[in-house]
Amino acid sequence: MFLTNARSVISGSAYVQQRSRSRCVHLVKMAGSWWRVCGRWSTSCTSTNVSDTLRCFSGMSTGASGSGLSRASWSSGPGNERMPLLSAQTHSTALHLNPLIIRQNSRFLYPTLSCFCRATHSDVKLKDPFMLAQKDLKCLYDDIKKEMFVSKQELKHLCDYYFDGKGKAIRPIIVILMARALNIHSNQAGDLLPGQRAIAMISEMIHTASLVHDDVIDGSDERRGKRSINDVWGERKAILAGDFILSASTMVLARIGNSTVIKLLSQVIEDLVRGEFMQLGSKENQNERFKHYLEKTFKKTASLIAHSCKAVSLLVNSDPDVHEIAYQYGKNVGIAFQLVDDVLDFTSGANQLGKPAAADLKLGLATGPVLFACEQFPELHAMIMRRFSSKGDVDRAWEFVLQSDGVQQTTFLARRYCDEAIRHISLLRPSPERDALIRLTEIVLSRDK
Amino acid sequence: MFSLSRLSMSIRGQRTLSLFSSQTGPSNWSKVVSDAEKIVGYPTSFMSLRCLLSDELSNVAMLVRKLVGTQHPLLNTARGFVYDSKNNLQMRGLIVLLLSKAAGASHAAYDLLPQDMVSGIYPSQRNLAEITELIHTAFLVHRGIVNLKEWTVSDGPMKDMEFGNKMAVLSGDFLLANACTGLAQLNDTKVVEMISGAIGDLVQGIYYENSYNAEDGLSDGTDVASWEEQTFLSHGSLLANSCQAAMQLAKHNKEAQRLAYLYGKHLSLGHKLNSDLQPFVKSGLGELTPFSLSAAPVVFHRQIVGTERWHQQIQHAKTLRNQLDHTKLLAAVKSGKGVSSAVDLCCYHSNKALEAIQAFPSSEARSALENIASAVTKF
Repeated sequence: MFLTNARSVISGSAYVQQRSRSRCVHLVKMAGSWWRVCGRWSTSCTSTNVSDTLRCFSGMSTGASGSGLSRASWSSGPGNERMPLLSAQTHSTALHLNPLIIRQNSRFLYPTLSCFCRATHSDVKLKDPFMLAQKDLKCLYDDIKKEMFVSKQELKHLCDYYFDGKGKAIRPIIVILMARALNIHSNQAGDLLPGQRAIAMISEMIHTASLVHDDVIDGSDERRGKRSINDVWGERKAILAGDFILSASTMVLARIGNSTVIKLLSQVIEDLVRGEFMQLGSKENQNERFKHYLEKTFKKTASLIAHSCKAVSLLVNSDPDVHEIAYQYGKNVGIAFQLVDDVLDFTSGANQLGKPAAADLKLGLATGPVLFACEQFPELHAMIMRRFSSKGDVDRAWEFVLQSDGVQQTTFLARRYCDEAIRHISLLRPSPERDALIRLTEIVLSRDK
Repeated sequence: MFSLSRLSMSIRGQRTLSLFSSQTGPSNWSKVVSDAEKIVGYPTSFMSLRCLLSDELSNVAMLVRKLVGTQHPLLNTARGFVYDSKNNLQMRGLIVLLLSKAAGASHAAYDLLPQDMVSGIYPSQRNLAEITELIHTAFLVHRGIVNLKEWTVSDGPMKDMEFGNKMAVLSGDFLLANACTGLAQLNDTKVVEMISGAIGDLVQGIYYENSYNAEDGLSDGTDVASWEEQTFLSHGSLLANSCQAAMQLAKHNKEAQRLAYLYGKHLSLGHKLNSDLQPFVKSGLGELTPFSLSAAPVVFHRQIVGTERWHQQIQHAKTLRNQLDHTKLLAAVKSGKGVSSAVDLCCYHSNKALEAIQAFPSSEARSALENIASAVTKF
């Protein structure tokens, strides 16, 4: 059923996106079989060092750009500053690499390692992305609140509730950095365009609206360290508040006055809902299940970032290749972000994430770490199918995951998506903002909350 | 898919039943509407059909069967998807189509060709009509979200309610998301702005629509002016803005847009007054139709008799177990001027709608719009 679904999404979506979307599905497919490979490795290997892996990969990646992007590199400066991404004690997944398998899969997940090693903006220290975007972010929440015109006090209070400046604001940060990097790339002098700033706001608004609805669906009573809206005001009002935030965001969107941008972001709204529907079902077949998981992850998390990045690109540049860079960066970082989130559900203390540990398991959701663990512990299969609903399922599944290398495998996969994001963004002309976007991938990987 | 058709089968059974047994609703309303439907060719552009046949909603339809036997409101709303005699589910879309046809071909736009029209309506206007229905339906679903903390075990198992809520959130969101993508495809940012604004109004209206309806009826009520304001948000804004957007899509001028907006606004208010009045104007001895304390005649009545007298009447209508006896309350309201004032207001809005439509050239579609506006005052 969901297969047909994916197909209909591809054929039915706005023509502008067809190209990027079909590629996304392709990537997802690739990752699906890649995961199988991962599973195979994990049973046999014990230790290796990453540089072996890297050498092996770069050997395989000749001419594997595959994306139709221009390969013109904007990198200046000597190639001496290596990306520190892969230097740490990565889990050893790569000892017995079968070159045939890698050839088949590496094209999409980790082409051209030379990208990773490419110099970043020469003399400039990698800027803290959060500092760099701070200036533009300062009034963001206030501006969002101003966009939500509500005459009555209580509803206004609900709508403002999560725009308290306590969130990570990761989406607006990415959008703003991307917009500035693209503006420099496109020789656009000066500040952010008003429309680009609006898209940063919209990205946070759509995200918040979906959080409010998700909390009702999941029955969560806590969010960002405070009681959830549904817990305080009840489910009915929470849903209406979410709807209102969404309508306010489409209002801002409409005022940008660009039909293509509207299409991009309305696609996000549809993806969010479809992703939520995908969470209702589980797949019997394990490969299907992983593909389903990645597709869901794209729709629920990455689509918003990818399309927002593309939207800020559209406003400053008319080159489809540049739009694609923005889109691919957003998509890959978005998926990595969610993969890490799924890992943190197992590794983070109860309070750090602002939600209880093993929350996903308790909701019946099998995320990356569980799916990887299931390779080593087939007992998990039955539990996944019954959505951890029997007594003791959650605890046992938790144990299995921690005993397995599911966490490491998922982290490794997240790293791959970040590498891919870096590869794309490196095609832009160097700028502090571009480098901040590169640095941001590290933060995505290393965050603990 | 299978489950959906079965669902509709069982509901069709009910439909024939209600056709023969019910005498509710204005007698010629249905006729006016069905006559009007013939004028616009076919009523929909299949967008809602596509929605209904999607994997997501057929999934929901299958899951909603679990709710049979529970009291979750989603069940009733789901029945209404297929057929709803009282609320005239497709009424809003129909009005948008009729207005589009009444306004006719565009003279200002080069990219709109007369040959693209079907039965005198542009495809974009048909899509808009459909989007209007999708939004309306989405909020019918979201209106029915249950507050779990107010639910006691004696009302039924909590799990059913949680599940019903989940389905209601998801299917409402799904309809809204489809409305958003449909809206984007219209390629008119002005229209997106109008309809987004209408959604915002609708949410505000629904959020507060039951706040005056506290069970004791004693909470500081609303006066007629704020009732109208409130009702415009919850029942009028969507249609008014959709009517205006239909004009915008055909590049009709500001004046045509303004008149279309007014027609949609006044018709909605008249229609709401009509349905609020139903329990008070029916002469039959049959059982009492339940009414809300925020119904227009009650609001008028309260304002006319004053707070003190109203409190006395509420006390008088209370039973031993502190329940409100609606029959007594009905009699109290009927004895005053509340009902006739509400009827007057209904006629006022009907006339305003008729007035707005007069500027459009005489046509079959305009007559249908006139008939609909007049039917609102028939009880």
